[in-house]
Amino acid sequence: MSRVHQLKIGVSGIRGVVGEFLTPNLACAFAQAFGTYVGQGRVVLGRDTRSSGEMLEHAVTCGLLAAGCEVVKVGVAPTPTIQVYVEETRARGGIAITASHNPPEYNALKLFNREGLFFNQYERTELLDLYHQSEFHRATNDEIRRVVLDYDSAPERHLARVLKHVDLERIRQRRFRVALDGVNGAGSCMSVHFLRDVLGCELHAISVDPTQPFPREAEPRPEVLDDLRALVNRCHAEIAFAQDPDGDRLAVGDERGFILDNDEVLAMAVDCALRRHKGPVVVNLTTSAVIDDVARRYECPVYRSPVGEANVVQRMRAVGAVIGGEGTNGGIIFPAVHYCRDSYMGMAFLLDRMAETGSTLSALAGTLPTYYRRIEKFTFEHGRLGPIMQELETLFAGSQVDRSDGLKLTTPDGWLHVRASNTEPVLRLAAEARSVHRLEELYGKAARVVGRH
Amino acid sequence: MAAEGTLRISQVGLRGIVGPGLTAGQVLDFAAAFGTLLDAPGKVVIGRDPRASGVMIREGVVAGLLATGHDVIDLGVVSTPVIQHSIGRLDAAGGISIGASHNAAEWNALKFFGARGTYLPTSEAGELLDIYHLKKFALTPYQTIGRLQQDSAAIDQYLDDLARVFRPEPLKKFRVLVDCCNGLSALLLRRLRERFGLDLVLINERLEGKAFAHEPATNRKMVELQLAPLMQHVGADAGFLFDIDSDRVALATETGEAVSEELVLVVLADDFLERGPGKIVITNVSTTGLLEEVAARHHGRVERVAVGRQAAIDALQAFRPEQIAIAGEGTGAVMMPQFRFVYDGIAAMLGILERMERKNATLSQMLASYPRYSILKGEVGLESHKIPDMLFALEQLYPEAQKNTTDGLRLDWPGRWVHVRVSQTEPIVRVICEQRGDPPRQLFEETMELVRSHCA
Repeated sequence: MSRVHQLKIGVSGIRGVVGEFLTPNLACAFAQAFGTYVGQGRVVLGRDTRSSGEMLEHAVTCGLLAAGCEVVKVGVAPTPTIQVYVEETRARGGIAITASHNPPEYNALKLFNREGLFFNQYERTELLDLYHQSEFHRATNDEIRRVVLDYDSAPERHLARVLKHVDLERIRQRRFRVALDGVNGAGSCMSVHFLRDVLGCELHAISVDPTQPFPREAEPRPEVLDDLRALVNRCHAEIAFAQDPDGDRLAVGDERGFILDNDEVLAMAVDCALRRHKGPVVVNLTTSAVIDDVARRYECPVYRSPVGEANVVQRMRAVGAVIGGEGTNGGIIFPAVHYCRDSYMGMAFLLDRMAETGSTLSALAGTLPTYYRRIEKFTFEHGRLGPIMQELETLFAGSQVDRSDGLKLTTPDGWLHVRASNTEPVLRLAAEARSVHRLEELYGKAARVVGRH
Repeated sequence: MAAEGTLRISQVGLRGIVGPGLTAGQVLDFAAAFGTLLDAPGKVVIGRDPRASGVMIREGVVAGLLATGHDVIDLGVVSTPVIQHSIGRLDAAGGISIGASHNAAEWNALKFFGARGTYLPTSEAGELLDIYHLKKFALTPYQTIGRLQQDSAAIDQYLDDLARVFRPEPLKKFRVLVDCCNGLSALLLRRLRERFGLDLVLINERLEGKAFAHEPATNRKMVELQLAPLMQHVGADAGFLFDIDSDRVALATETGEAVSEELVLVVLADDFLERGPGKIVITNVSTTGLLEEVAARHHGRVERVAVGRQAAIDALQAFRPEQIAIAGEGTGAVMMPQFRFVYDGIAAMLGILERMERKNATLSQMLASYPRYSILKGEVGLESHKIPDMLFALEQLYPEAQKNTTDGLRLDWPGRWVHVRVSQTEPIVRVICEQRGDPPRQLFEETMELVRSHCA
């Protein structure tokens, strides 16, 4: 039977429904394991705006102090902002208390190493072993260090890095009319400051009160952004942005209130980045071929990695990528700022491109080649992925095969990808083609195979 | 595993050496257990002493309480009596004090209080312990998690109340030397001096997290070493030495004499009985027999209970408040009915100064009115399985004595007694022996020999 995991302690850290499942004691013990692993130095701690965040922040602080770490609290801050801060302040590591795009009853600890990067799989495994062995460093009264508060400098450090890669004056002169949906998340205050004060936009913002609950589903999918669309129409915005609660994911709407496909947003960001500096591009296996088309314009190679930010980042570092990301979830990773998904760099890139060209966002998106995509999830039983992969490979014999994360089959006019989710007991099936007809053919055949299992 | 003798979890709460004994996980679980014991939502007041580990423990306590749906009011670095006072003032459901009082700096502890700031009676403390052991906490869903607030007015509000009971104005004429031992009394006394113009000379007044100027023990030996030699230099009328938490106090006279810690309760009992003749003094079986003599002068009586705060708390509940003159221990910890029945060293200090003022006597004159009692104390390593045999042998050794088995064994003769019991905080057997007049050396040595022959 497939189960909904209300608590998951695994290589991606610790995540669960707060209360009965994700308890303060678990968070504290995990933090103490983390502090033991990174050593008795400074550890940066921040969180998103979930109502459980404050409680867990105390539990995590307790665990870190007990391990002998000095705790630097940056308060409510987007995940990328925390990551930049870890790197810049040369801390031993960092923890973000956020369940990202998950519903409000969830929370999680995201763990960063001294470079502000997500723990790689080896680091995660070592940490998990430490956690299970409960062999924590236990600081004595003499060894216990202090808690330092720095609520102000983290956003400044992050935004200063973003601004190095766009023409600030060019953007400010345009006085863009921008609509923003901050989901009352960690980016609420920082995004308002960035768009209005720094970039000089005429900002029309909703849901930018970090003290309030999420007014919509946390993940900025087009289906849940009706309020943002209405705002665009009401204030005649030229562009619209929607963030997730921890400010790593970005959704973008055009001047007609149409929410762009995340793959297209990533394609535009790739275009901006390669225009400035050529180099390799890394995206995950489920990301659209539109990225390959854009990169081809600049004669740059595209590499594909398994799904997951950590995997994409690992590959980006290996190949020296200038930009990367995951089309499936609105993550743009621009290593010149930091190896992290960063909605702020995404916003800046798009506004800069609009300022440079004088084009509307819909016109810019219109220059991208058209693909048709479909991605769905199926509940499935563990152990069924193998037979599904075998059957699909036989069915689509002659395709180019990639088995690095489930199965991806590429044909000259399209591809399909089936994989098991890391976070939920579901199987994801994605397909893309140049025509609707071919998409339905590819997807239909594959879905029947999956359905049979 | 905790190293031996570094952790104690009991009905009194949680106490241990931070790191090898007391851990973050235990703190969090205890706070969550307390949050489960109290009905949510109800505010919980917390505060801590200046130990460095208090910062870590505070975080765990806050997390455990918020997670069980309680709003937390953090008073910051304050003494236990201030926390207890604030629970009543803020109409809170309970409180937690983080601090290890008279223990050395590497220790820390949690103390729990119910509504109105009283210690938990044994029945409730037992329930708390059961919840802690079961680890089935009433963790609340995300919508009802508590919020943290600060309150910085606690000390002033507490002093307001204190000043209503003990009028500070007449006490201005005394020069008072205080050894704060780098603890919380410094915060309170500085403010008391500022607000009421008392002539307080403070030493070791800087709050310290890692190293105290000396062991924070409130006994005659410590007074002799630290405080008494300075009395005449300063020209002080009275000297007081506090533990970190300022719930206990010890005395030095204007002539530079270190006073036995047993006499703090005696002086105050004398004072309260004089104004409330016939009332009861609650104390433990190890405290000086001088109390009976003083109580008899005012037709009062002494109710002796087992050693430890818990027994005193339970005894307090068994009497109507107006029946009780005072409660306390020979350690310098005293509770007064006029001031909420909490161990409060600052209140004890003001009580003694007030008596000096009312009697128009110096401290040494006041103390001279009591006959001399000599007390001898010893300790032997614990061997738990031999304790019943040892106590029986002691009983056999002195069949003529009057027997009291409230806590271990106490044997009484007119003007002389010996008490043998197992410590609640350390793995030792304590022997206490007292006599009116000269030290009871023979009784003490005989008893020690018997105890040694069974233990260590």
